[in-house]
Order: sequence, then structure tokens, then C-alpha cells
Amino acid sequence: MATPNPTPTPGAARSAPWFARVERGFPYVLLIPAAIALLAVSVFPLYQGIEASFTQFVFGRPKGSAGFDNYINVFTDATFWDSMWTTVRFVSIVLVIETVLGLALALLVQRELKFVRVFRMSIIAPMTVAPVAVGVIWRLMYASDTGIVDPLFVALGQKAPEVLSHPETAFWGLVVVDVWEWTPLLFLLALAGLQSLPQEPLEAAVVDGAGPFRVLREHTIPLLMPVLAVGIVLRLIDAIGTFDQIFVLTRGGPGTSTQLISIYAYNTAFNFTQYGQGAAMLVTLFVLVFALMMVVLRLMKRAQRVAG
Amino acid sequence: MTRRRLSSILVYLTILLVMAICLFPFWWMITLSLKHRVDIFAGPSLVPPNPTLDNYAQLFNQNHFGSFLMNSIIVVVFSTGLSLLIGAPMAYSLARFRLAARLNSLGLMAALLVRIVPPILLVVPFYLALADIGLLNSLLGLIIVYTGINTSFVVWMMQSFFAEIPKEIEEAALVDGDNRLSAMRRVILPLAMPGFAATAIFVVVATYNEFLLALTLTGSPKAQTVPVGISTLIGKTQVDWGPMAAAGVIGVLPILVFAAIAQRQIVRGLTMGAVK
Repeated sequence: MATPNPTPTPGAARSAPWFARVERGFPYVLLIPAAIALLAVSVFPLYQGIEASFTQFVFGRPKGSAGFDNYINVFTDATFWDSMWTTVRFVSIVLVIETVLGLALALLVQRELKFVRVFRMSIIAPMTVAPVAVGVIWRLMYASDTGIVDPLFVALGQKAPEVLSHPETAFWGLVVVDVWEWTPLLFLLALAGLQSLPQEPLEAAVVDGAGPFRVLREHTIPLLMPVLAVGIVLRLIDAIGTFDQIFVLTRGGPGTSTQLISIYAYNTAFNFTQYGQGAAMLVTLFVLVFALMMVVLRLMKRAQRVAG
Repeated sequence: MTRRRLSSILVYLTILLVMAICLFPFWWMITLSLKHRVDIFAGPSLVPPNPTLDNYAQLFNQNHFGSFLMNSIIVVVFSTGLSLLIGAPMAYSLARFRLAARLNSLGLMAALLVRIVPPILLVVPFYLALADIGLLNSLLGLIIVYTGINTSFVVWMMQSFFAEIPKEIEEAALVDGDNRLSAMRRVILPLAMPGFAATAIFVVVATYNEFLLALTLTGSPKAQTVPVGISTLIGKTQVDWGPMAAAGVIGVLPILVFAAIAQRQIVRGLTMGAVK
């Protein structure tokens, strides 16, 4: 008796035929509530967002069609391109650092796992707590009058950096926060990947006389890549949407030095009640994110083929 | 042999250093939350010289943290419960039956996509929709939105738990004269309990932590949650460091306690099931 097909079960076959019919539909009935919920938070907002992006809002109220005006405003807005560039810069920097650090840490500890429980406990703390709280924590660390970062630099004989007060240091300050928060995720993924690797090719390479770095470059990393790639692209999508920490730490400032696209879109929609223009920005961003999501799906399928 | 021991020591030193880097910022926040105003400005000290709970008292007496906490608890409980109720049947169906029209992979893909959409892409539509039906600044509005989003996660995670339960057990129950529903209740649900627990834990953490949607969809302590409450302490001209640190502690404490009890489940959730 095979379950994959909703064929009538022995129990159902003995009862009335209507019951068999009900049973055949049963798997589909189970889908309905969740399908409605998922459509309500995906297709519906997409539709509403696209509609809003073609609507003119005056003082926050819809006032008829705007045609392509919102999009034209967005694409001719230097600040939009500036924040897109800031986003690209931020996301690529944090991803490279987090991947390299996470992988290095995983390689380092993979054979010394006696304290793994305590270690994992402390290392997941930064990414488990609310991103808003992460913002608060680092605001307290960076504060020029009461923080710890400035005194630390002074103690080392340097000038106090006043991280959040200058455009360039504020940007790098946020990079540090993101690396602190999310390197653990890539570490965990890399460690899980390393532990599931087949040992034979690695041992064979060692027998052939390959040094540790050659084994790493030519065998371990290529074998690890399918699994790690999924994590990297998921993190990439997540990083593009980084908002909470920046909202707490700098609100995009000083100037526009830390104004990622999420902060700018939020300000446009909710501080200046330009919902139409904000929506146009977000629809544009969605097209980019959607392309990345398709990449995730493809990578996941490939990773499953490799693993399975 | 000694070289091996030396490298082992170096590895442990690195592990200790990484742990310190992960944990020290939390410690710094906790000490600040227990310091008097004068001690905060008296230069850095790693232990509060005269510990006090004044900062916490201020949050509850003047900054509405009682309401924020209450709102958070209500929203978390209802949206977690509802999303499990709505999402688990779909997860079960996707894991157990071969559905027509490639619904199995389509359903999972839809859940994954909803799960990973950055919330910033959703705020404007949700804001306008809730404004239309008069549910801005209400707990009900937040519960509806969070239930929808959390459902994606429940479907994704519970599907993998249901798929891990051997089909043979269920088939045996059916042969014994159970129908699908009673087999589900008697056999599948008890076996899926750890999965439900893990999923619920992750959904609770994600909902308690969510900020951007709560920020845009609420406007007063009537419906604001803890993360939004924390953000209300910042801004204007000056930041009151002691209460802000205390607010941060309130924000992280329940989650850290949860994480200590259920780190495996949280890791599984954070890595989208890649780490089991």
C-alpha cells in the first residue's frame, strides 16, 4: 500500500464511496488555509505595491494615477543611486569578510570540538537576539562620551575614533556590527558542511603528497561550495534588507554615508509620506531581490543533488 | 607530539577569543543597565560600582515598558499559535502525498520565497492595506501580518520534520483501522511534537525580535512591541544611556534564555534547516 498517492486506504474502501472521494481530496484541503495566508503576504502586497507605485499621493492620500512619474522620480534621483551604491558596497564587504572568517573559524575548530556546546551557545547569541538590540549594544559600545571603543583606542595610544560621528568611520562601524552579528551563521553552515564532507578524496590528496593549503584550495573548498553557496546567497538577500541596526545606530547618517536603500525607502515613504515613490523604489529593489531568490532555488537544488 | 599540542592550545585560545568577542558587548550593556548616571559618565568600568535597578524602574514607570512587554507577549502567542495551526496541515500534505501539478515543490518554493523576502519590501503595501481596513496601530493588525509571514516558516520547517517520520508507522495505523484523521491524531502528532516545539521556538524568537513591520504598523504604546519601544528611547536630542541599556537587556533576555534551552532548534531555524 503506497501512501504517496492518495489512493483509498483499506479502511476507507470498506466505508461508503463518498468517504473515499473525500479522502482523495483530503491532501488538497489541507493546503487551503496556508495557501491563503501565503498569498496574502506575497501576491497581495506585490499587487498593492505595484499599484501604489503608479499612484500619486498628496499628503499621504492617494490622488489618482501618476503614470510612470514615481519611477521617473526615482531613477533621476541622485540620492537613490547613492544609497544603492552604499548598499552594494556594504553588502559585498560584509559578505566577503563573513564568509572568509566563518570558513576560517570552521576549519580551525572542526577537530577540536570538546567545548562545542558552550562555544555554539556564545557564538549564536549575536544572531539570535533582536537586531534592534544589536543596534543598542553597539550604540553603547561606540558612544563617544560613555562607550568603550574610544577609551580602548586611547589606551592603545591612538586617537579616539568617535566611530558614529564621521561618515567613513560610521560606515565601517556598521560593517563591524554586521560582521559581529552574522559571521556565526556562516561559521555554522561551513562547519556543518565540513562535517558532512566525504573523507576519501581529502585523504587521497594527502596520500598523494598535497600540503594542507593545496588540499584546502583544490579539494575542501570546491566540495564545500554547493552547501556554502546557499548560505551565502541567503545572507546576501538578508543583508540587502538590513534596516534595524542602522535605524538604531545612525539612521543613515552622518550625511548619507550609511543610508542603505532600505533606510532611504523607509524615509521616503514614512517620513516624507511619498508612498508612491517609496513603493516604486521597493518594486525596483524587489526585481533585483527576486533574481537573487531564483539563484537560491537553483543553488539549493544543486546542493541537494550533491548531498543526496 | 608537542607540535600537535601547541597547535591545539592555539586553537583553544582562538576559541576563547572568539567567545569573548561575541559575549563582551552583552556584558557591557548589562553593566551599563545596572549603573547610576554618575557612574556611567565616570569612565569605563567593567563592573557596576554601586549596582542599581533604577534604570529598569524608569522604563516601567515612565516609558510604558509594561505595555510594550504585554503587547509583545500577546502578538507572539497568537501569531505563533495561529501560524502553526494554519501551516502544519500544508506541511503535512506536502511531506506525505504526491500532489498534482507539482504542488509539492511549488508549495515549498512559495514558502521559502515568502520566508526570505526582506521585510522592507512589504512595509508600504501592508501599511496601506491596514490603513484601508482601520487596523493600523492595533494588536489584531500585527497578529494578522505576523501570522501570514510566520506561516511560510512553519510550512518550510514542519515539512522537513513530517518527512522524517517513517511512512510505515502511519501505514500500520491505517491497516489497524484508523482513518487518516485518527491516524494523524494518534500516531503522527505525538511523533511530530519535537518538530512542533522547534518550529514554535523559532517563530517565537523571530516574532519577538521583529522591528520594521511593528515600527511602521503601530504608532503608540497601545500596540507597540518591545523592539519598537526600545527605539522610542533613541532620538530627539540626547540618549539616556542607562535606561537604553536596560531596555536592550529586556529585549535580549527572554531570547537568550530561550536560546540556552533550545540552541539546536534555533540553529536549525536560523540556517533554514541546513544544520540539523
